[in-house]
Amino acid sequence: MNVLVDGLAPLLDPTVLVCLLAGLLVGTLVGAFPGVTGSMAVALAAGFTLTLEPVQGLAVLLTIYVGANYGDRIPSILVNTPGTPAAIATTLDGYPLAKQGKAGLALVASSFVTTGGILVSMAVFLLAARPIAQLALNFGPAEMFALVVFGLTVMISISSRSILKGVIAGIGGLAIATVGRDPVTGDERFVFGVNDLNSGLPFIAVIIGLFGIAELFDQLLVHRAHVLRPISSLGRWWPTRGELAQMRKPFALGSVIGTVVGIVPAAGGDIAGLIGWDRAKRMSKEPEKFGKGSLEGLAAADTSSSATLGGSLTTTMALGIPGDSVMAVMIGSMVIWGLQPGPSLFSNDPELVVTIAAIMIVATVLSLGISLVRMRGMVRLLDLPHHFLWAGILIFCVVGTYTTTNSMYTVWVMLGSGVLGLAMKRTGFPAGPVVLGLLLGPLAEANLRRTLLIDGPTALVTQPISAVLLVLALVGLATPIVARVRASRRAEAPSERPRAAAGRSR
Amino acid sequence: MNEARHSQATPSRTDGVAPALGSSDEAAVPAAPTSRPLEITSALGALVFLGALAFLARRIELRAETGGVDPRWWPELLGTVGLVLAVALLVVSVVRPASRDDLEASTRAGFVRVGITVALTAAYLVAWPLVGFLAATPVFLLALTAVFGGRGWQVLLGFPALTTGFIYLLFHTLLEVPL
Repeated sequence: MNVLVDGLAPLLDPTVLVCLLAGLLVGTLVGAFPGVTGSMAVALAAGFTLTLEPVQGLAVLLTIYVGANYGDRIPSILVNTPGTPAAIATTLDGYPLAKQGKAGLALVASSFVTTGGILVSMAVFLLAARPIAQLALNFGPAEMFALVVFGLTVMISISSRSILKGVIAGIGGLAIATVGRDPVTGDERFVFGVNDLNSGLPFIAVIIGLFGIAELFDQLLVHRAHVLRPISSLGRWWPTRGELAQMRKPFALGSVIGTVVGIVPAAGGDIAGLIGWDRAKRMSKEPEKFGKGSLEGLAAADTSSSATLGGSLTTTMALGIPGDSVMAVMIGSMVIWGLQPGPSLFSNDPELVVTIAAIMIVATVLSLGISLVRMRGMVRLLDLPHHFLWAGILIFCVVGTYTTTNSMYTVWVMLGSGVLGLAMKRTGFPAGPVVLGLLLGPLAEANLRRTLLIDGPTALVTQPISAVLLVLALVGLATPIVARVRASRRAEAPSERPRAAAGRSR
Repeated sequence: MNEARHSQATPSRTDGVAPALGSSDEAAVPAAPTSRPLEITSALGALVFLGALAFLARRIELRAETGGVDPRWWPELLGTVGLVLAVALLVVSVVRPASRDDLEASTRAGFVRVGITVALTAAYLVAWPLVGFLAATPVFLLALTAVFGGRGWQVLLGFPALTTGFIYLLFHTLLEVPL
């Protein structure tokens, strides 16, 4: 009971409430601007939240995470352009609904199912996170190493079109993490006499560079003069009882899919939304309406993508492995505050876990209110010229990064990471595995070396949990390769059939 | 982390045409073309990086030579495994360069915009410690806004002045970060 009271008490602090509102505003705006992703915004905000108290900082970052999940639906529905990748599936039925003059209905329905999806997944977090963390407390070095490998391989298989490039990116991240002091003996590695490198590369700067600056540079690179034509006729706003009843089944399905996908390390709302939409279509009595303005399709897509939030929070807080890209940035910030997400968080700071859950739930309810009240105003934001947005993002990235250490060296690292991130993006190397490798590298190395020194290499395969996780990691890497080989064989098969038939006729 | 797959995963995409950020479906833009030289260059980049890692890992100076699983072991392992994978990537790049249809094609104006932005940011990072935040930032923002297409004195002067003032108030005054 004390833990609950202690966990909820910080929310009564006026400064935390101000942080909550600021985060919500930023998150909703960020979501509404196509091209500014949640991870980019949280990376950007991570810079200046490091000067705040941990609870205040978490209030800002978590509410940006929640708010972006509401804002990104607006451009998806009105201009057929997802505000963030998590809203990709929203465009499939949201935009057709808007073209039918039901934009208002689509926006309100989307807000309701998004709220429901997040709240259901948060209930799962409250029920499941502690038992998972308790199980993980029994993990030895072999299991911890296997867990990191598993998280990294899932990230690679999800974020990379080329598994080879994904693995190389992951190794790159692990390699960058070796700069500085050895985690076991304290020996200097790759420091080259530069004092700043002694404590390793500043990972917040690297994260802001790879996610924020690289994304901005990519937009500058590909930008063409387009005229946005948002749907101007919004129509009626509130769903009828019949329409609400229509959304019940896809909502239930989406909640389950989203939460499960969210729990998988590194899998986010974009994947969950598409899976949820596809499954709902298969189960619907009117599948032919999907993609042409189906309220069921919209409900399934938005519930699934939003329900990943609680799932990914569970993985992040209980295991210390990021549930998605935003959580990777969040872990970086928490480490700087002296908080280590993972099983020990539940025994060392149980009230903080309650605070985090409370922030998520309050942010969700407030986001629903804001999105219903201010929807008409937010639609106008889509007209904001790019030159303000780009210049604003860049200066906030620079100043935000500077404030983490008050040193220009950190900002140079961010700029370098941004240029590297752009090169990686244009050549198909995913940034996710680099960041994950950088964050979890010391954990992986220290635990592998401990395993080898104490129990020998056989412990990795004789310990059941470690063995299962390593097998799952191998399966995770092999599955996309096998799927691609099968797909290419299937594609080649029709062209070979006529030849074979011609051969037989000869 | 999944942004790279963003347009790839969009079912409405047609082959060779990626949906643009900030565009409607009526204004589709061309996807980036497959490029063997680019793939080979990136594979060579990975090869050099991971080769350097393997090479430099062997030259790490230790306070006590213990052999076996010492501080050199992990980076050396990463470098060696990475080197093998980079060679494999180089072979794949030559034989079957990867498709880039999940990316929007870059433009000549885009390269110029990125080049100028990087140069301006570097100049700003040099100028900030020399002339101070309040002098360097409005000039930097004015230049950026002009490069990004902003026109008119209200945009070119008003936006940099307001943004600089806001950042200064937020960070220097409110959060007490010395700028």
